[in-house]
Amino acid sequence: MTAVIEVEHLTKRFGRFTAIDDLSFSVQEHGIYGLLGRNGAGKTTLMQLLTGQQFATSGDIRLFGERPVENSSVLDRVCSIKESQRYPDEYQAHHVLTSAPWFFPRWDAALAGQLVADFRLPVKRRIKKLSRGQVSALGVIVGLASRAPLTFFDEPYLGLDAVARQIFYDRLLADYAEHPRTVLLSTHLIDEVSNLLEHVIVIDDGKIVIDAEADALRGSATTVSGRTAAVESFSAGRNVLHSENVGGLSSAVISGLGPDDRATAIGEGLDLSPVSLQQLVVATTTSRATEWKESA
Amino acid sequence: MTTHVWRIVKLHFVNKWTVLGIPWLVMTFIFLVNLTIWGVIYATTTGQSRTDAEQGLGYTGASFYIFVYMLIVALQAINNTFPYALGLGVTRREFSFGTGIAFALLAVGYGAALTILSFIEQWTNGWGLGGHMFTAIYFSDGPWYARLFVFAGAMLFFFFIGSVAASVYVRWRSNGLLVLGATIAVIALGLVVLATLTSSWAAIGRSFLAAGSIGIVGWMLVAAVIAAIAGYFVLERATPRNA
Repeated sequence: MTAVIEVEHLTKRFGRFTAIDDLSFSVQEHGIYGLLGRNGAGKTTLMQLLTGQQFATSGDIRLFGERPVENSSVLDRVCSIKESQRYPDEYQAHHVLTSAPWFFPRWDAALAGQLVADFRLPVKRRIKKLSRGQVSALGVIVGLASRAPLTFFDEPYLGLDAVARQIFYDRLLADYAEHPRTVLLSTHLIDEVSNLLEHVIVIDDGKIVIDAEADALRGSATTVSGRTAAVESFSAGRNVLHSENVGGLSSAVISGLGPDDRATAIGEGLDLSPVSLQQLVVATTTSRATEWKESA
Repeated sequence: MTTHVWRIVKLHFVNKWTVLGIPWLVMTFIFLVNLTIWGVIYATTTGQSRTDAEQGLGYTGASFYIFVYMLIVALQAINNTFPYALGLGVTRREFSFGTGIAFALLAVGYGAALTILSFIEQWTNGWGLGGHMFTAIYFSDGPWYARLFVFAGAMLFFFFIGSVAASVYVRWRSNGLLVLGATIAVIALGLVVLATLTSSWAAIGRSFLAAGSIGIVGWMLVAAVIAAIAGYFVLERATPRNA
């Protein structure tokens, strides 16, 4: 395994606001990584920093072992797609599809053509006149057809309907299987992509709260629910990520329960249910009681 | 590096409508409007009054539009094409060099076309009607290389003034433009005060006349080069603005 992205003690401040706060993580070659987090958590800023579009305040970023800022040999292997991408005034979609291949040596024109048909993208219409979903589709087409060894998708689906999003996920997975590469996808629609992701990085307030294999995460937490007194006594001393009380009933999201713990809980008349990736992210980013990096 | 820069040049020409289509369409329209006016003047005047009118037509600003248009092209190139290019994985350095080359190609291309049009206008005696659109008095009445120099040089001036202003905007947003505008206003005011206090307005007027169109465009080129270099350094640390 080789690391495609290595980030050490990365910090980015805008004035007094700290968008990225001392992040360290790495991304291995050939994998689909999910970058999850709430609005304003720092996902876009992080992607902009990784692709050399923003300048770090401090810390170190290495892509393919080199710093990305103003470095063509790195940036030639990177494609970054964001929902809010600006395009030149008066551009039509076909202008983008004509010019993008000059910047991606591995561009697959046949795939691009197929995707244009799949998304029913009107290529001879001005981008300003396209719907939000069509603009998103254009970005997705460039991102997939670029076949860049390292591709960033920053919430690329806004305005895309459910069918189009499914096309995106299917195409991404199919093309990834044939042409392995590294994909970093930031998204809010966690349940939709949870089967796609091999690794999950969750950031909140500019800090990493989860950095773990998706498989490990899926079984890592359990919702324990029942009478408040029973839930509280069971929770005591355990790793509680999140808890809620309604009337005399409570539920708690607890990580790291073993078979014995489960038996105890059932013995005390508590209900156990698995926690989806989305619930896990919600639990960890609403009350950050515990560092998840280690426990997951 | 060469191919990296050349693809930026091509990027500015992908949408030919913006850099070639619209300018020529508007220019054709302006030309037809002028042609009509010349026709009316020609039809309603004779003898000495026609000669006087034709002389007056020499003071034309009809082709000035295209220079202002190129300033807008430059603004858009920095404000919109820059974030697009960065999204495609272009370095700021490559973008600046490629954009400078694209501007130079456009300036020389348009300069050559305007020069040819000015000679056609001259040889046909103002399109048969004594009109002037490409042979304005003072600015475009020399040999071909002088006209090419004036047209292309003036256009480069507008390109780089536009691009340095847009670079300031992209890097520091509207606050940057406010500071830039205020700085220019203060410098201009200082020069006016200086010229007035030293009673040198007459001398300034004479030196403008003495410099001739070549001299004036030469100074505009100096300003263009300064703007280009300043724009390069401003853009070097700029971050793209998202929609």
